[in-house]
Amino acid sequence: MNRDARVEAFVAAFEALRAEVEKVIVGHREVITHVLIGMFAGGHVLLEGVPGLGKTLLIKTLSESLELSFSRIQFTPDLMPADIIGTNIIVEDADGRKHFQFQHGPIFAHILLADEINRATPKTQSALLEGMQEGAVTVGGASRPLPAPFFVLATQNPIEMEGTYPLPEAQLDRFLFKLRVRYPAIEELNAIIDRTTQSRPAAVSRVVNGPAVMSFRELIREVPIASHVRDFASSIVMATHPQWEKAPEVARRFVRYGASPRGAQALVLGAKVRALAEGRYNVSVEDIKAMATPALRHRIILNFEGEAEGIDTDNLVARIMENTEAATAQSREPFLR
Amino acid sequence: MTESPRIDGLLRRIRGEVRRRRAEYYGVRGAFWGAVGGVAVLLSKHGIGSAAPWIAVALVIVGAGAGIAYGLARRVALADVARVADRAFGLDDRVATTLEWAERPDRTRLVDSLVADTIARVEALEIKRVVRRVVPREGRLLAAPVLACLLLAVAPPIPLPSGRLPDFLPSGEEEREERASSSMLEETSRPLTKDQTKRSSFEERDFAQRAGGSGASTTGDLSAIFKDTSLASQRPDFNSFMKKGDERLRMLEQVDRLPDLQSDFTNNQYKMVYRKSKALTGGLRPDQISPQKLRELLEEMERLGRKGGANWSGDAMEGMEALEGGQPDRALDAMQKALDKMRAMDEAQRSGKGLRGGRESDRSGRGRDRARGDGAGPEDQDFGEGEGLMPGRGRSGTPKGEATQRLRANPYDVGVEGESRRGRKDGYDTNLTGRGGSMASRLQYLGVIGQYRKAMEDAITREQVPRDFHDQIRSYFQALDER
Repeated sequence: MNRDARVEAFVAAFEALRAEVEKVIVGHREVITHVLIGMFAGGHVLLEGVPGLGKTLLIKTLSESLELSFSRIQFTPDLMPADIIGTNIIVEDADGRKHFQFQHGPIFAHILLADEINRATPKTQSALLEGMQEGAVTVGGASRPLPAPFFVLATQNPIEMEGTYPLPEAQLDRFLFKLRVRYPAIEELNAIIDRTTQSRPAAVSRVVNGPAVMSFRELIREVPIASHVRDFASSIVMATHPQWEKAPEVARRFVRYGASPRGAQALVLGAKVRALAEGRYNVSVEDIKAMATPALRHRIILNFEGEAEGIDTDNLVARIMENTEAATAQSREPFLR
Repeated sequence: MTESPRIDGLLRRIRGEVRRRRAEYYGVRGAFWGAVGGVAVLLSKHGIGSAAPWIAVALVIVGAGAGIAYGLARRVALADVARVADRAFGLDDRVATTLEWAERPDRTRLVDSLVADTIARVEALEIKRVVRRVVPREGRLLAAPVLACLLLAVAPPIPLPSGRLPDFLPSGEEEREERASSSMLEETSRPLTKDQTKRSSFEERDFAQRAGGSGASTTGDLSAIFKDTSLASQRPDFNSFMKKGDERLRMLEQVDRLPDLQSDFTNNQYKMVYRKSKALTGGLRPDQISPQKLRELLEEMERLGRKGGANWSGDAMEGMEALEGGQPDRALDAMQKALDKMRAMDEAQRSGKGLRGGRESDRSGRGRDRARGDGAGPEDQDFGEGEGLMPGRGRSGTPKGEATQRLRANPYDVGVEGESRRGRKDGYDTNLTGRGGSMASRLQYLGVIGQYRKAMEDAITREQVPRDFHDQIRSYFQALDER
């Protein structure tokens, strides 16, 4: 097969990163893949799972395998925006003149681990908003660019809800993907026990640097997508809106607000990275289907019935996808299905 | 078309296959309708003559030919063909993307790689038939008209009906018969057409009313008919529909999933109550519901409404009262009304959430209090029945719990003072004193009157009240009811 050298390099980098992370993390292959997809797509990722599943370790290992600066913020209720962004402090120079000097906060790093993000107040959470969207922060009226690539990996756990502040929808929408970290299977648990209690921890090597990540991000945007695949992605996003005339019954019944255009962008970008990571030069319908749940699950807001009935958004997305696919097939002639 | 003859060849091949399948499909449909026409022609063989079988055959052939021609002539979009190829050969939309992007002016280097990759993959393919055969509905029925054609072709011609009955009677008798039958028809035709719209029982009732019924209801007044039928007492069983809906919803749920963080955050007591009410009423009739559970639920709703200052506590109280009076259907109605209000309030709160900067719990800062370890404030406490916060205790000055309990616990909380008023009609001017006097009433009259009446009956039963006053007290409550 004729392969583009850049694509070869990307596939190699992707596999190498995954292999490095898997030296430390047992199982969670899908989560690792989606985190890498999120990073190469230029988005931010929110990981959700109960404590002790290795969310923080996954992110730390990823940062160790990248030649990029890393900082970690443990979110607490008393954390202030200035603790994240930084602040102007008065310093005295050699001549004894005093002036303001900007003290950089931990946000000025390539990879930012926002651990237990839902424990900080909304005010502090929103300090991340500008940085996540614009790649810059404004302090004292001056905009300061963040280093590129800038990648936020946040974690939160669904238990111990006392004293937590749920991320507002606007903040959630900033995350390209929301990933759920599940309990490991028994074989994986045995491997975790062996790996963490017998031998010394595995050494992780740095396999990809910042400029490479940036060039891969540009490459990903070149991946072509056929119009019918793009239409399928937009149909899924539109089908999450109960007001849309072709919305499936399940969306009309349980959804209050559907996914935003950012959701469609996340879907297509994620699909492009997935395609390239598999050594493919084009986006397929399967890529869109694979990315729909992580890209849309946090962007669908359930209505009263949906919440009261305990509807799972993952199931909802799956049902919406099925309906959209069936509707697309129905609209074609039988010979062309 | 693309720059690769191999891809173009594949697309041409599939396009031809699609055309052939279409020709088959429309050809069969055409043959069916041609055969139907042939049957019609052969049925009128008597009039057409010996050419009828040939016409029928021609119709079948023409129908099939027209269908085939239509199928072959219809345009097949190349993009559709490319998608068929992708699906059939597992090419992951490579051909469709190549076809679309190969000619685009903004094609990138990656598109060149894509084209090369697609060509290589297509060259490695083993070509097979990919377009499935679709049999039209007419195809399954085609044998019937064809067989009918064959049978009719060999059968003797069927004489066409002349439109008149055979002449069995002499002419004079015939005229008499005709006259008699026409006069009978005239007599019976009007009532017969009317009878078709009514059931026999309604017809009888209608006659009875005409004979000696009251003047209020007329012949066409259907409400009068329904008034005393068994239909009046029947109610639609909506619970069975709700149950069916619940079963479908359960299919959406996964048992082993982790809790959804967002929904956990937004879950509140209202939704708990909603779920409980759904569980209680699902698939049951009012007479099958446990009054105890319904009472508990109504009490919970009432308490929740009272705590949040919401407007459904009155409905919940009304429901409780109805339940006490042995009217579970009224209690259920009241519960439904309360649920509707609860839902409306929740929706309203969520609509304004973004504008007010966060969820209700965040705004009130309760989360912070809890995080500091202060524990829930008195506003947050959930009170059991009759366990209200006593005035003067705790940080909140708002009295909670049942009014009767509070008054019993602290007789100085609310007092009544008055002075006599002289005038045309003597009377008293009264004022409420104490803490209660300065606050708006928190209890709805209709909600508490039932409780008070029950307390009165209890007191009378337990002989706490002198026997001479029993009638007087009862007549007082009766007067309240009348008002």
